[in-house]
Amino acid sequence: MSEQETVYKIIGKATPRIDGPAKVTGKMQYTSDIMLPGMLYGMVLRSPHAHAEIISIDTAEAEALGAVCLTYADINPIVYNERSVSIPAATYRDRTVLPAKARHFGEPIAAVAAASEELAYQALQLLKVEYKVLPAVFTPQEAMADGAPQLYEQIWLGEEKVAVKNNIGVIRNIEEGDVEAGFAAADRIFEHTFELGRVYHDQLETKGAVCAPEADGSLTVWCTAQSIHANRQLLGRVLGLPLSKINVKKLPLGGAFGSSIQVNTVTPICACLALKAGRPVKLISSREEDFYSHQKYPSVFEVKLGVAGEGRFTAAQVKCLVDFGAHQVQPLPYMGCVAGWFASLYRYGPLRFLGTAVYTNKVPCCAMQGYGNPQINFAIESMVDIICEEMGWDSVEFRLKNHRGVGDEFWGQGPTIRSIIKSCGVPESLTKGGEIFAWKERRPHTEKSGRYRKGIGVARGFHTSGTGGPKEGEVIDYSSCMVKINEDGSVDLISALMDHGGGTWDAMAKIVSQTLQVPMRMIGLSPTDTRNTGYDVCTHATRGVYCGGAAVLYVTNKVKEKLLEYAGRILFEHPAALEIICDEELGQGVIFAKNYHQKSITIGEVAKIAQINSWGTIAYTDSYRQRNCPPCFTTHFLEVEVDTLTGEITVPKALLYGDCGTVINPVLIDGQLIGSFNRGLGYTVYESLDVDQKTGELTNKGLLVDYKTPTAAEMPAAENVLVHWTDTYEPSGPFGAKGIGEAALASVQAALANAVYNAIGIRFAKLPITPEVVLAALRAIDN
Amino acid sequence: MNTRIIPVNYNYLAPTTLAEALTVLADKPRVKILAGGTDLIVKLKTGVDIPLEYLMDIKRIEELKLPKYCQRGLFIGPLATLSQLEKDPDLQKHYPALAEALRAMAAVSVRNMATMAGNLCNASPVADTAGPAICYGAQLKLENITNHRIIKAEDFFTGPQTNVMTPQEILTEIFLPQPLANCGGAFRKKTRVKADIAKISATAVLAREGNIITHCRIAMGSIAAVPLFLGELSAGLIGQEMSPDLRREAGRKAAETIKPIDDNRTTAGYRTAIAGLLVEEVLAAAWQRAGGEL
Repeated sequence: MSEQETVYKIIGKATPRIDGPAKVTGKMQYTSDIMLPGMLYGMVLRSPHAHAEIISIDTAEAEALGAVCLTYADINPIVYNERSVSIPAATYRDRTVLPAKARHFGEPIAAVAAASEELAYQALQLLKVEYKVLPAVFTPQEAMADGAPQLYEQIWLGEEKVAVKNNIGVIRNIEEGDVEAGFAAADRIFEHTFELGRVYHDQLETKGAVCAPEADGSLTVWCTAQSIHANRQLLGRVLGLPLSKINVKKLPLGGAFGSSIQVNTVTPICACLALKAGRPVKLISSREEDFYSHQKYPSVFEVKLGVAGEGRFTAAQVKCLVDFGAHQVQPLPYMGCVAGWFASLYRYGPLRFLGTAVYTNKVPCCAMQGYGNPQINFAIESMVDIICEEMGWDSVEFRLKNHRGVGDEFWGQGPTIRSIIKSCGVPESLTKGGEIFAWKERRPHTEKSGRYRKGIGVARGFHTSGTGGPKEGEVIDYSSCMVKINEDGSVDLISALMDHGGGTWDAMAKIVSQTLQVPMRMIGLSPTDTRNTGYDVCTHATRGVYCGGAAVLYVTNKVKEKLLEYAGRILFEHPAALEIICDEELGQGVIFAKNYHQKSITIGEVAKIAQINSWGTIAYTDSYRQRNCPPCFTTHFLEVEVDTLTGEITVPKALLYGDCGTVINPVLIDGQLIGSFNRGLGYTVYESLDVDQKTGELTNKGLLVDYKTPTAAEMPAAENVLVHWTDTYEPSGPFGAKGIGEAALASVQAALANAVYNAIGIRFAKLPITPEVVLAALRAIDN
Repeated sequence: MNTRIIPVNYNYLAPTTLAEALTVLADKPRVKILAGGTDLIVKLKTGVDIPLEYLMDIKRIEELKLPKYCQRGLFIGPLATLSQLEKDPDLQKHYPALAEALRAMAAVSVRNMATMAGNLCNASPVADTAGPAICYGAQLKLENITNHRIIKAEDFFTGPQTNVMTPQEILTEIFLPQPLANCGGAFRKKTRVKADIAKISATAVLAREGNIITHCRIAMGSIAAVPLFLGELSAGLIGQEMSPDLRREAGRKAAETIKPIDDNRTTAGYRTAIAGLLVEEVLAAAWQRAGGEL
């Protein structure tokens, strides 16, 4: 550790959130807070049919009310994909701003804008739509059947036209090694099927946009977004405007969980309405509309694993079937990622992944916290438990022996983005976690009796940190920023990197503060937009700190070079002979001659002298791509209690073990692990989205009253939620940091299911494990 | 549907006296009474077909507000909120099954708005306060401009979302008679998450002499078209000696009596599967509160 780190170390400290005061006082300006003079309110008409041709839309009465109306006839019918994280050649395109045909219940069909929300609602009721209702398909099996109604005849892959047959959107098969030989070498082969249904992101802020046409012909956009540049690029294409005429503002985001990686469906609609009206338009989804916007990918996995006597895998195969709904947001990369999460869990030897993703007349699916990782993790980590139970192996030992760790290959974003694991907290988390949870004293379910039965389960998982790899693959990954030292020694950080509420911006400020030794209160996070920032792909894939932070560190180090050069000029020292030490009381970074501290100057003085002498501003801007995608690991040890008379599952105790490399802010890491545990509890025990098999309408009609998520009341008591981090350092990460966000969810589901098995001896292979399901299974055994 | 919009035009009235409110009801058609609004406003926003010309907010009528306990029992005004009642020491002491039901209802913000009278008048088969009201023998005072009548809680409900009230009436008072000596009551419900409408609920109020049940009223919620008073089962337990077998048998009979349906919260099968258990549990808890031993 260098001398300066002992003097000032902000990395790893629990610091108050920079945006905390604005958030708790309600002064934070989110998209829905934006009010502009002359603004109209937009509202969307949604399809009451799961599948229907739109024969005509009569807007006369709505227009007579003073509303501006938008239908398919008004839009540029360019076919696009809302998501632009993958390269164009790996992106299927199938949608337009508004469709000529409704392909799911709740799909936007037309839109209106009027002087008030109430008036817009009235106008919406006056739109007369003539539909030709078509038969619909709601399951992949139905959809793939010969003669089934087809959602599309053709779509586009990059610039190529692709015919759609049997509603199959994507087939992705991946094979490594001789799989048949691997299975032939197995002593035992285990085969089971796992099923995970749809759930909803339930992010606090619903999707919305405010779009304002400007006098110079440009369009200013405030919207819910995980990437402002993705929004700008798509709007430019759809509206036929140069990107210099589209300015998307960076705003705080009230949660996302992946729901705004792609451009939200309502944003181009809002932009088109605003341009047609020639006035600003605000379009904010209601909660029930948001339910019909995007949902989590459901998946069915047929898993086949071969093992040999000494406790090792010999081969692995996963067949994956996905019903992704009416539009492709990203099932192609989803399949690749699922294959990657599967491949990267264990050293199976040869492996095969067979993926099929199918169109259905349901809400489109998009990434949600883990992008297939919690899904496949549930299957594989349940299988590990099944195998160990059957073979008489200790499942912790088995995991320690077979997991992919340091030196192994990790697929951070499907088969084309691979890097070598350089840091790994798996051994520590399994070993120490096992000690904390008294794993070795765990009793089998056969020794349990009585109404309430407790069980302990373990599962381990990970997520990638970003999507960068040594070689460019199917996925775009880089960030850009500018760092600028002001004439008083304060610093401006200018970046398009988004913060969904997890504290990413704080982490960026800390990286600048640590590097330049400038106190946190002197770091300013500039309000930015697409006009004054370089491209940033998106805050997704748990890349904020690892990739965004690396870009900030890279640029800040360049600024530091320039700063020390100027300081050297002033102090008559070589820049290499200088060091910076933060003086928190003074509120300045102070530059000293190394080992001769009598000679010093503050950063503010250097910047001022540079300005007065016309040397220029001490600033730098650039883009930066990470060349690794290190996994951040998690291990969950969970205790459940099952009420065998009601089937209810509670969690008396939880150990959440995270490996994020260097901890930037301990409180926020805890928040990620605890919050994700809560979401995993919901996914496993409480949440599911079902559709009426006749109409395709959600059975909860998009109302939260019938979509229950666990609250604090369903969590273990605070003192029984134990959070630990491993002692790891990621050599490629900023200050040794990796991500954590999505990893924190990955293994919750399997750990819960494994604990339930340990309590009552029943293996649940389908989520959610509701009291109804548990009780029925218990009664089936009794009978 | 858009839950930010109430898609009907209506007139808003806010009388300050009961007489004024009753006059409105006598004179005007299609009046809906607004107390807490936690059911009505949600229904209006989610498009439930409610004929509505006048929305009459009765929250400014002072005389309808406070709960009052006296020797005869507890008088609950129609504007008493769930939070207010939940914290009432007399209610907690003498009507523990009702206190349990109130604590189990919704989230704090909803309990701060919602009223018990509204919970009853909304006449949901799920209404959590209905079971305790029935089991404590609550009498509901219904007034119109010229007259009033008293209806027993178990006779109040006529079907899902319907009750015996005429459009001219207001529920002006819920009266819970003083419980008997050696009396105990208990309420249990099962939900998806803690703050939720019940999948199923059960209430029992009983009194004893030694080991003999001398008084018994059992009710269940969310298992039939109305909050259900299990009169025959209750009467059959009177005079019997309390025992685990008796409770189990009572639970079995209760499960046979109910007529549950599938809905978004659970299935008819699950309701039937746990109905008996819930009845056993409330009988045991009520018995213990009555000073009995298990």
